[in-house]
Amino acid sequence: MAEITKKEEIIYPYLEKPLSVYTFDNGHKAVLAYKKSPLINISSWTKTGSINENSENNGVSHFVEHLLFKGTTKYPAGVFDRTMEENGGIINAATWKDYTFYYINIPKEHFKIALEMHADMIVDAQFPKDEIGPEFDPNKETPKEKRERYVVIEEIRMGEDNNWRKVYKNLNSVMYEKHPYKREVIGTKEIIANISQEEISRYYKTFYTPSNITTIAVGEFDEDEMINLIKDNFKFKDNSNIEKCKTDEKIPEYKIKNPQTIVDHADINTGYIMMGALCDSAKNLKETIALDLLSTILGDGKSSRLYLNLIENVKNPHYYQIESCHYQFKDGDNFFIEANFDPNKKDIVVQELKNHLDNLTTITDEELKKAKKRAKVNFAQDSELVGDIADAIGYWATVCDDISLANNYLSVLNEINKEYLEEIAKKYLNPNLVSTSLLLPKGEK
Amino acid sequence: MEEFKRNNINILLEKTPATPRFALNLFFKLNKKEKYYGINSLLARLLLQGTKNYSASELALEFENECIDISTKAKQDYIKISLVFLNEDFKKATSLVKELILNSTFDDFEKEIYKIKGEITSDLDNPKLKLSDAFIKSIFKNHPYSSCHTKILDDIDKITKQDIIDAHKDILEAQKTLVLVGDFENKEEVLNYFEKEFQFMENGIDKNEIEDIFKNDIKEDEIVWLSKNDASQAQIIQGWLVDSFNSPMCAKIAVLNNILGSSGLSSRLFVNLRDKQGLAYNVRSQYETLLHSAVFSMYIGTAPKNIQKSLEGFKTELEKLANEKVSEKELKGAKENIAGRLKYFSQNNSQIAAINGYNHIMGLGLDYNTSFLKEVNNVTSDDVCNVAKILLNMPKVITIIAPDEYKTSF
Repeated sequence: MAEITKKEEIIYPYLEKPLSVYTFDNGHKAVLAYKKSPLINISSWTKTGSINENSENNGVSHFVEHLLFKGTTKYPAGVFDRTMEENGGIINAATWKDYTFYYINIPKEHFKIALEMHADMIVDAQFPKDEIGPEFDPNKETPKEKRERYVVIEEIRMGEDNNWRKVYKNLNSVMYEKHPYKREVIGTKEIIANISQEEISRYYKTFYTPSNITTIAVGEFDEDEMINLIKDNFKFKDNSNIEKCKTDEKIPEYKIKNPQTIVDHADINTGYIMMGALCDSAKNLKETIALDLLSTILGDGKSSRLYLNLIENVKNPHYYQIESCHYQFKDGDNFFIEANFDPNKKDIVVQELKNHLDNLTTITDEELKKAKKRAKVNFAQDSELVGDIADAIGYWATVCDDISLANNYLSVLNEINKEYLEEIAKKYLNPNLVSTSLLLPKGEK
Repeated sequence: MEEFKRNNINILLEKTPATPRFALNLFFKLNKKEKYYGINSLLARLLLQGTKNYSASELALEFENECIDISTKAKQDYIKISLVFLNEDFKKATSLVKELILNSTFDDFEKEIYKIKGEITSDLDNPKLKLSDAFIKSIFKNHPYSSCHTKILDDIDKITKQDIIDAHKDILEAQKTLVLVGDFENKEEVLNYFEKEFQFMENGIDKNEIEDIFKNDIKEDEIVWLSKNDASQAQIIQGWLVDSFNSPMCAKIAVLNNILGSSGLSSRLFVNLRDKQGLAYNVRSQYETLLHSAVFSMYIGTAPKNIQKSLEGFKTELEKLANEKVSEKELKGAKENIAGRLKYFSQNNSQIAAINGYNHIMGLGLDYNTSFLKEVNNVTSDDVCNVAKILLNMPKVITIIAPDEYKTSF
């Protein structure tokens, strides 16, 4: 059984008590956060996602996420889902580029069974072949037994019908030269149809190691009881002898080397555009906050530059939706503008969006003040629900590898002035260093 | 949550200590059929598009400079203005919302129509929204609840500014509810403030002119096919008009819905159609209650060749519920799950304000959730069988969006 080797207290803005961060001798971390609530949220965050995949196993992180619900030695497939939900729990999981996480929101009186079954699922996934389903060629045959492989293939198919997902997938593929981020997290039908149970299990054993996992509990509970339950139930197996999965070389790309425009078509009546830039790692707190502020100024809400200049203050606007956003990643953030528009105005749209990026090198005092207040309020908002608190802690623990950065957020935010924002805009949001993805109605050139 | 009546204003208050943001919701009941589809949606949007004292862009800045989140929405039975703001901005937020309600000019009328048309065209690019639009239109026929994207597009150019001014007058005369949830210091001060400053929230008389739409208003099965030839998936909604919250059937339908397809990963549709047959990523059932009707529906996104199999799957699962009693364990689990979900969706100030305000404006009372859970607890396995039997014997509406080549496959 693992022993606690370290306990730290980290002040977390807007929470009544500091977080308790425990480290076990096997490297597993546990974070306990107090929040008055009728619910307790329990989650485990694994530091793996498409960042650890290669061209042969792309999509395996997400497939493993599905398969962790398919049974352990102790609990066959379905028992976990049923037990949690018949105790009033809401369960799910998500996979992204840097992490995969599993969560339960459950009325607090049932947290013990939730913790026990959650830990069991994380440490003892069995990947039964009959739950995965047989391997097959998705371009030729339909297997008789359509199990979880087919569920994921349906999820891929669902994404193919989502216009924004198409635009994002195309843009993401041309923003990077080599980094594994360039692949879609969900993978391809061909890989999901063919990947073997052995390969899936090897991936799990390579990355679901104690030092790669942070378990988080948020709510009202006795701290000693909770940490002892975590200690007693997370009985990790020693998989150090396995042949580990190979990963691609991961050289962070903080700037697009070869800006491109990619155009795709669909059976639609409006146009979709995403323009993207690469930036420094999310761990660079000051730059990341600056990019959050720039995104607020540029495209968050009806008082943002994009909305005011391109929709509100125009007589007949050719945009239907427009916004900017900032995605944080371990090996470099992304900054996007996205818009839905009249496809006849495609060329004007591309130029107008680039002009707005260019204009970010001048920021007003009022804009800075508004964006700073929004950042503070967003932080407060993320502290309202047990699930949101857990998600935020999971982000700091996995993407930034440092939960204490959360406590620095507000002080670093206060340090930022408009000159710094202008400098960051110049550094990353140069309109000549963005790639563009367009989705247009069939027939539009 | 406490209920007060001051100067004929319905005020609901709940103090939630140590929360940094207030949630304020204002509900205006809709009791008339729209002259043209889209009037209420347009009115809700125009409330944010300029007043006698602020242009639309000035309003956006006033709200967003202080991070006062505001949204205005027209739903089937009410228009709701929702605000969330920092405690220190109470006066500013409440003054601004008063300004919107009393001084909106609706001068941006034509521009907003132009924007709505663009947004609807864009929404209809999304096959799921297109499917849902067709389902609403088919199941509610010409009832006011059939107000959907395509009907609004058909009618929107007929709407005049006077129609909006009339609709605005109607909501000011309608029944209303004000809900505030947050960390206020003095309850009396808050009540006095609303009593003095929010006289426009004075409750109107119930002049309902909207008729109920009943389950027997659908005479026979109806299938609506929508073409989407480049779609990777077929998407299906199958639904029925059923009893709503004012019926003893409500709790029974809610339990059946939970067991069949809304408990999450362990529902029967999820386990049998997704996990065991690999038919879908997304499959579920839904029970939406409204004042004059309710809809029970099942949804699946599947490979186009599986349309028939999915429809059979829907039928098989309902037949199992009709013919084989659910176990006491499954029944108890469904009841716990419903209670847990209610807790999950009542966590923060916004959620508490929304749920309680809704219950109040619908005339359900503040203890509705408690009484609903009691009714849920009384549901038996025979009740679940009976609901399933009723559904199997009632005409239904099926809407499907898929490539045309699969039209003959079912």
